[in-house]
Amino acid sequence: MRIIEVEHLTKYYGKARGIEDVSFQVEEGEIFGFIGPNGAGKTTTIRLLLALIYPTRGRARIFGKDVFRYGPEIRQDIGYLPGEVFYYERMKVIDLLKYAASFYPRDCTRRMHELAEYMELDLNRRVDELSYGNRKKVGIVQGLMHNPRLVFLDEPTIGLDPLMQRRFFDLIREENARGLTVFFSSHILSEVQRLCHRVAIIREGRIVEIADMETLIRNNYKKVRVVARDLDPAYFDLPGVTHLEHTNHTVHFFYRGDINVVLRRLSALNLTDVTIEEPTLEEIFMHYYQRDES
Amino acid sequence: MNIFWHEWKSGLRSLLIWSGVMALFILISVTKMAGYVNNPEMTAVLKSLPQAVAAAFGLGAFDLTTLDGFFGVMFVYFALMGAIAAATWGSGVLSREESGKTADFLLTLPVSRSRVLTAKALAALVNCLLFTLVTGVVSVLAVQSYQPDASFYRLLLLEMEAMFLIELIFLAIGLMLASLLRPAWRAVSVTIGLILASYFAFAVSNISKDFDFLKYFTPFKYFDAAVFMQAGRLDGVYVLVSLLIILASIAVVYGAYPRRDIYI
Repeated sequence: MRIIEVEHLTKYYGKARGIEDVSFQVEEGEIFGFIGPNGAGKTTTIRLLLALIYPTRGRARIFGKDVFRYGPEIRQDIGYLPGEVFYYERMKVIDLLKYAASFYPRDCTRRMHELAEYMELDLNRRVDELSYGNRKKVGIVQGLMHNPRLVFLDEPTIGLDPLMQRRFFDLIREENARGLTVFFSSHILSEVQRLCHRVAIIREGRIVEIADMETLIRNNYKKVRVVARDLDPAYFDLPGVTHLEHTNHTVHFFYRGDINVVLRRLSALNLTDVTIEEPTLEEIFMHYYQRDES
Repeated sequence: MNIFWHEWKSGLRSLLIWSGVMALFILISVTKMAGYVNNPEMTAVLKSLPQAVAAAFGLGAFDLTTLDGFFGVMFVYFALMGAIAAATWGSGVLSREESGKTADFLLTLPVSRSRVLTAKALAALVNCLLFTLVTGVVSVLAVQSYQPDASFYRLLLLEMEAMFLIELIFLAIGLMLASLLRPAWRAVSVTIGLILASYFAFAVSNISKDFDFLKYFTPFKYFDAAVFMQAGRLDGVYVLVSLLIILASIAVVYGAYPRRDIYI
């Protein structure tokens, strides 16, 4: 079953572009990555799906229902963890969570305490005493305590220390195994790679690619830097090599294909240094950007 | 109900502060009243004031040496405080979710915007009702040593009715502006600006017949103590005009707020 269906969704803020002609589907039980640099339109898309803002054009359905008409009904089964979490400053965490829980027909108390314990959150603190990371933990508990069918995570790891990040990822995997569909928005490629089954790449308000994680990784570029005396860049002009650059004793290029081909070439050289690494997200976007132009 | 109670508790501090200010104002005024009421010398002093000055301060129509006359002058201050308190409550209940960035929390819960709106408006309405009650009760207690008669109680009741209507007008306008303006917190200052302009229009319309036309634009003139004290009742036409302003504003709020784009 399709949990999210987005068709030609477009949002302009006055004349400023929010998103343009965004279409995608998320299937039940998926962890769907939504990746793009800051300002690409990730948060705009999520705010539209939560009916916090209204579209200039296009349609969106969750659980088969129009999100702008059936918002309250749909949100019964949705959790939302915003990038920056804001709560009423003078409330205690436990009162805040009880207030949120009072909007759901089912009893959330047991799950609330389980999640708080798991994330090591002290429920008796006041919101204004909490650090950024602890506010995020309140957001995680609030987003999951009512056992939603779908959860929106907007840059969920910002503010969490590495230990808590790992715990949080384990939690999401566990909930996913129980049937939770996850919409995971991030600008950090590695965390999307770790968690997601499928990923959409958004850039300047438009979707530039939707692919299985496996396909994306298999097709992924390696960034190679070779340092050696008397290098001839033409030596690396192989099929699959792009962006070949030569400065002093260093050659840079991107490579897509069988990595052994490059390694055999390298082994014939007397190298000073070599690095082979994942391109940064920005570099991947450069790739999509240039392909658009050609 | 959960939103209503949450809102009402959030607004309680503001209600207590306003009630304290109002009680203090009444007590100080009644203390000063001792110098006026039943004091023939004061009558002479007041008569010697230039007419325009007396009119601008709303003194012209009242005999300050009687309890009723003194409370006639007090009314415009009740109305002014009620209007400002109601305006901050009306615009505040909506705008503080956006200025405090909690709108994302509240509006992503499974509740419709119109239900949020109803709960918030009711919480502000209850505050207005309680503020009016506090004003009336403190007034009654404060004047007990002057042996108030039935005519005083009739006047005070009319003043409280008029104060409540003026509060409702500016509560509704505050809600409306908060649902239309961006950023929403601007509604607080714009509504208060509107109140001060209305009060100025009221004062000017009292000074000169040339500015008589201003009376249609200022709720303070709809319920002029000098008039309803004489008539013994509020002007039915202006009660109707007030209700129309309130209903129109509320209609705009229910049209605009559910369609409002929420940014934080």
